[in-house]
Amino acid sequence: MRADGVIAMLDRWGRLMTPGTVLLFFVLLTFAPLRVPYVADILPLLPALAVFQFSLATPERLPGPLLLLAGVLLDLLLGGPTAPVGVSALGFVLIRAVVVANRRYLVGVPFLFQWLGFCLLIMGYVLLVWVFTALWTWRALDAGPALAQYVVVIVAYPLIGPLLARVRPRDPLNVPEASRGTAQPGETSS
Amino acid sequence: MAIRDDFEVVAGQVRLVLQRFALVILVVLAFAFMLIGKADTVLVENARVLALDLASPLLEAIARPVAVANRTIADLKEFASLREDNARLREENARLITWQAAARRLENENDRLRELSQFREGPEASFITARIVGDSVSAYVRGALLNVGRKAGVTTGQAVLTAEGLAGRVAEVGENSARVLFVTDVNSRLPVLVERTRERAILAGDNSGLMRLTLAQTLQGVQRGDRIITSGHGGSFPVGIPVGEAVQAVDGGSVKVRPFADFSRLEFVRVVDYGVTGLVGGASTPAASPKGR
Repeated sequence: MRADGVIAMLDRWGRLMTPGTVLLFFVLLTFAPLRVPYVADILPLLPALAVFQFSLATPERLPGPLLLLAGVLLDLLLGGPTAPVGVSALGFVLIRAVVVANRRYLVGVPFLFQWLGFCLLIMGYVLLVWVFTALWTWRALDAGPALAQYVVVIVAYPLIGPLLARVRPRDPLNVPEASRGTAQPGETSS
Repeated sequence: MAIRDDFEVVAGQVRLVLQRFALVILVVLAFAFMLIGKADTVLVENARVLALDLASPLLEAIARPVAVANRTIADLKEFASLREDNARLREENARLITWQAAARRLENENDRLRELSQFREGPEASFITARIVGDSVSAYVRGALLNVGRKAGVTTGQAVLTAEGLAGRVAEVGENSARVLFVTDVNSRLPVLVERTRERAILAGDNSGLMRLTLAQTLQGVQRGDRIITSGHGGSFPVGIPVGEAVQAVDGGSVKVRPFADFSRLEFVRVVDYGVTGLVGGASTPAASPKGR
């Protein structure tokens, strides 16, 4: 039974659009010419962080094709001959798949486990991008900057992750069946 | 009725297959994108330019508040060292005034000598000022996005300058946007001169903060602190734009060069329209023009 007022409709659309919009915004934010040391290093991995967090909370609102598009857009904008188009897309799709497959280890567990999962997954993502970029350009690329960005985003995750996790309603009973996942009544993500 | 039921059954089956193999399909698609990118560079470049043009207004909207934030933080930092800065600037000013006098005298002398020898200058350069609306901050690309494009007269291969020196060259141009490849990018190759000895060399980026000077005949002649300037070979750049200074010699006959342009605080840059970029043509292969020499 759905309420059909204007507010209810806006609410529904808002919930539906938030993850995708935030992801696209983060993709664009990657290019913001922010010149603050360390803070600027978070930006490149923010889209991956958003994909991880939203795949935890509401994977059905972040469908695979959208991830593919966002990743291709990111690669196109990054540009330069050293950016194979589609590698971010591949990374995003794989992050979502891994998170969805391992929901029971990541949802409703202490935050520390979530953090650990994030560390492992993003490490995989950074490695994937490095391997493909190196293969595509056939050069031994310096992985130093990528590792620096990795460390910064790992440290920043506890600040940003929970903020994004708020797209998940406090009470899982409040959401439609499809997005409830394996969570039990009364259980929250952190 | 039966046909409709059949249709629904088939549609249901298709949906089931799609759901089951969704991940595989997506991964295959991602690989397909990569392969297309490798095979059809023109198509991908067009797609890049299109994405750039579409994203440019949004990027510009993001860049403005970010610029304000950057400036506020820089202001706060400067506030702490105001007194020392003032003293240093006063001293520098005194020194520069004597240099200015020397420069005026030389300029006059130069003009007169040119008149005497009927020297013909190269084409007059004009400048297009652009705001940096995006950094290409991927760990593997050094570049930036500008808010000017073909409409303003920007074409690929043009030099991009800061107040201190050369920043890079235009790699891709959209209607209202352009992508700059910095001199420190791993794909950047620049024909240069050592200012003191007039030796030719190639300056190559390697994605780090320093660049590598190679291919000079006698690199031993390069000393620490030597200024490196563009040589104008290849035709696309004006001659004599300062690029950087030699900071250290490395084993194996190459010298490390620190760029003059401060990439950590770029906000506005000038694109130099030198008028002869057409000679070089396909500037998307940066290594092509200097290699021939």
